[in-house]
Amino acid sequence: MLTKQQYSSGRNRARDSQDVLVWDPLVRLIHWGVVSMVLINAAIVAKDSPIHLWAGYTMLVLVAVRLLWGIMGTRFARFTAFPPNPFRALSYLRAIRQGDKTVHLSHNPLGALMVYNIWTTLLLIGATGFMMGTVSFFGVAWVEQVHELAYDWLLISIAAHIVGVIFDTWRSGVPLVQAMLHGRKRIPRDTPVE
Amino acid sequence: MNPVLHLPKKDRRRAVTLAVIILLQALCAAFFFSDVVADFKADTYLNEVHFYMESSATLVLIAGVIFLMIELRGVMNRMQQLDRGLRAARGEMAQIIDTFFSEWNLTPSEKDVGLLILKGLDNETIAKLRGTAAGTVRAQSTRVYSKAGVDSRAQLFSVLLEELLADEDHQIQHEVEHESAT
Repeated sequence: MLTKQQYSSGRNRARDSQDVLVWDPLVRLIHWGVVSMVLINAAIVAKDSPIHLWAGYTMLVLVAVRLLWGIMGTRFARFTAFPPNPFRALSYLRAIRQGDKTVHLSHNPLGALMVYNIWTTLLLIGATGFMMGTVSFFGVAWVEQVHELAYDWLLISIAAHIVGVIFDTWRSGVPLVQAMLHGRKRIPRDTPVE
Repeated sequence: MNPVLHLPKKDRRRAVTLAVIILLQALCAAFFFSDVVADFKADTYLNEVHFYMESSATLVLIAGVIFLMIELRGVMNRMQQLDRGLRAARGEMAQIIDTFFSEWNLTPSEKDVGLLILKGLDNETIAKLRGTAAGTVRAQSTRVYSKAGVDSRAQLFSVLLEELLADEDHQIQHEVEHESAT
């Protein structure tokens, strides 16, 4: 008798999972660009180094382009694909607890909140960092405090983001890190997609 | 056979290139924009041509970024459409084969043999895969051909191809008739 491997045609194997092109190259480049800028400023260069400033400005431009792309970008990159809605996040949490395995092609409702949270935090860090370099805000205590508080909050958010990605990969079986690398989400068959 | 759909390499490269240029150009635009703002605040440059040249260059850069974004969205949309089309075609092809096989009342083992024939394997390989004698496969394939009402492998393919090209075929015939009439 034939084993499945021997006579499965492409379609049969394609039926086990389905690849959907989700993240365009701009989204991916911005994601890993922001990651490298944060890494550079958090772990590599000194606070008073000029590279710290340039990495910060670059990060601001990356986030600005991403926000523009959220208005006029591709389907899954647009804000309308992942609206910031705490109620949807709550009902999503409830659904997970009941064993719902729905896969979201864009960010899931809980992940969406994290995305907006990280963008806001990055903008706050960038803006206060920029203010520290201006004449009128140089050495002002509250600006520096906000810069550092926002940075602490960013670290917490990044940790939560990574935990969320690991958890969702385990729960839904969609390898999310690979999706952010090559752009395609591999969705197992027989899972509802939203 | 690879189950991953291969989208045209050209489109993929184009999308990545566009994304890189968008980011680099946005960085340039931001740099010049901050310079223009600084010049504007300094007040002394407002009478110089340099200031206006730089301002318009910044505007052009920003417009370019937006234009490239629209381009990138177009490329991505096309790739997604192609992706869906390929998937649908593949599903339909499988359905067509299934329908024909059932219509011809093939037995399960004849269906196996028929599918392997369509996948381009010769009788010997099919026999090896199925663990039967080459004679059995030959007999089975002959039955497949006779049930399908064809004489050969090539004709079996053409039955399926014809189904896929039905509309075009019709058109070609129509044109031939038209030509012979004139």
